[in-house]
Amino acid sequence: MKVFLLSLWCVLAGILLGPETGGAGEIGPSKPRSPVVVAQNTVETQGPAQEIPPGGASVEDILLQKGTITQDEWIQIRAEQEYRAADQSRRLDSIEEWKYKTEVLPILRDKVNFGLNALQFLYGHTDAQVPEGRSQDSFSIRRSEILFWGKISDYIPRWHALFEFQSINLTNNTPTSGASTPTSATFFRETYVDVRPVQSWAPNLNMIRLGIFRMPFGIFTETSGGLRDVISSPYLTAVGGGGGPGQNANGTGGAIEFIQERDYFADVRGKIANRLEYVVGIMNNNNYQANALVSTTSGIGGANQPKAFYTRVRLFGNDVSFISFTTIQGESNNAGTLINGRGKGLFDRYGIDARYTSKILPGFMTQGEYWQGHDGANATTVGTAANGACQVVAQCGGSGAPGLMRRTWYVLGKYLITRGPFENFEPTVMYEQFDPNTKMSNDLYTRTIVGLTYYFENFPPKVQSKIQFNYEFRHHSGLGTGPASVGYNSATDPFAQNAFFIQFQVRFM
Amino acid sequence: MKQGWATAVFAIVLIVGACSPKLFPADVMEGVDPNFDFSRWRMVPNQALERKIQLGGSILQVEQKDGGMTIVARQLPIVEHPAYGPKDTGKSSGEFAATFQGRVESQFLQRGNRVIVVGTTKAPSVVLVDDLRRNLPTMSADCVHIWATEGRDIADFQSFGAGYETLPEGTFCTKAP
Repeated sequence: MKVFLLSLWCVLAGILLGPETGGAGEIGPSKPRSPVVVAQNTVETQGPAQEIPPGGASVEDILLQKGTITQDEWIQIRAEQEYRAADQSRRLDSIEEWKYKTEVLPILRDKVNFGLNALQFLYGHTDAQVPEGRSQDSFSIRRSEILFWGKISDYIPRWHALFEFQSINLTNNTPTSGASTPTSATFFRETYVDVRPVQSWAPNLNMIRLGIFRMPFGIFTETSGGLRDVISSPYLTAVGGGGGPGQNANGTGGAIEFIQERDYFADVRGKIANRLEYVVGIMNNNNYQANALVSTTSGIGGANQPKAFYTRVRLFGNDVSFISFTTIQGESNNAGTLINGRGKGLFDRYGIDARYTSKILPGFMTQGEYWQGHDGANATTVGTAANGACQVVAQCGGSGAPGLMRRTWYVLGKYLITRGPFENFEPTVMYEQFDPNTKMSNDLYTRTIVGLTYYFENFPPKVQSKIQFNYEFRHHSGLGTGPASVGYNSATDPFAQNAFFIQFQVRFM
Repeated sequence: MKQGWATAVFAIVLIVGACSPKLFPADVMEGVDPNFDFSRWRMVPNQALERKIQLGGSILQVEQKDGGMTIVARQLPIVEHPAYGPKDTGKSSGEFAATFQGRVESQFLQRGNRVIVVGTTKAPSVVLVDDLRRNLPTMSADCVHIWATEGRDIADFQSFGAGYETLPEGTFCTKAP
């Protein structure tokens, strides 16, 4: 083939360089050559061979004119140039094609993103006595949360899915009788979709949110685990249990989840006059594992009917300081629920929270929450059978506790040092109380947390790598007084014994 | 009677909510050209000197010097919805520089933060952007308002951190001469 092409070229060159054109000396920019003078047989490669270099003749043309190189060498050089030009063109085409392909990738168009919400390695020590086979000290992965999210369009500004890769153990539910069975894993933690139906209504009616996510109940509940200022969850989320005293007829023992962090919900959110935020919605009131209660074949949804209404209004003093009022109204169920300490019947919560982020003293922030609310009768701990609101344990299981009022509050303050030798250190103090039964004395939980955080990287909410030291001064008064009071041993109650935690965290998204 | 109250409250909410927030003092906004053509200014930066304008953008870099700073920003349209402020629509007319005499906390000077600048157009200046010398249209800023979104749109920021986040924002003005 090459021989044929070379012969063809020679014939053509002979015609061109014949008597009409004079000789080799006349080949050059002053007389543009015919397009057929090529060293390659592709149309694409003809172009570069004919190009006259800007500024005059090319080096090989001059060399040919001067007789330094022969015609064959000139052809060889030109062929080489054409090949290179064609190769470069091919490469550019490939890059263009690749660019087109990558430009439409969802991950480059903000439609799909992923990040590390929190990877936390925890060392903990508690002074409480522990049974055989358990330890006061522990290493654990507190969170290993991978987050996926994206923006589909202006009408669907966010989808969101969060997976917790460390807590894959099964959770029991509360059966109506007999022993409980493992019901669901907690691998799946959050998923929701935001819908902004009418752009021009935003931000007054900003979006409708559907799914499972952190509920808009106060400040702590809505703060991602990767951005919290103390290691332990506050008592308003959960208190009791963990090897301490079990549930009792006064409602003062066992694990109590006063405000669940997550639930299945649908709500509407907006902001008015850039100062007043609101949320109005309904939820299952069954906790985040409740998907397991739904039959995928029959569609029967366990106790998953939306049975609580909630609303919050948040008034901003400036961009980062606010006060909020929240209420939750509805019903709770003790059978089929995955929330600890809830009875069957009417249920309500009232909360007020506030945060002050100082502009006068940058780095200083304080916040607090105050909550109280009523639980239905016969509250139960998850895993314990319960069947109805009656207070006869032999008949209805559960704790046999009457409906009762619970109350909790905390204040937290922190100061991020931004200059000097202690730059990026942040001392934190938090004090909290939880009263499981407001009509009973001597049942109060109290805790003071003294903490120190060092930030390796601190660009919230996207990036936060830090190490936290927390010492917790814990106190639990007891399980109440009166005729129905039960015995209490504070030595084995982890909420009555001090604890110490060190946690290393990486967060990047 | 109750219906009347409800209607009145709803109407007030709508009226108050419909107002776009006032970011800057009224005297600063006086004389701002509402029909300023950024694209044209970008092409011919010498032809519109000493005009009072307002521009929105996303911060590319900030160079601090002698008690002041030069903010280089990618121009973005200012929208009312879904949240008032500069919004990344995927189309940008180019970059501009804004000189500002004043102090701004470092949190607000991160790349990607959204900014609205009010000031006067000046002669173009040469700015080093990503090691390249760029001749950018320049304005002298009287006031800047910055949302510390770090690359996110204002309306999307609140949910970005897998929870609820308040969006730090602030207005900074030069001291009167």
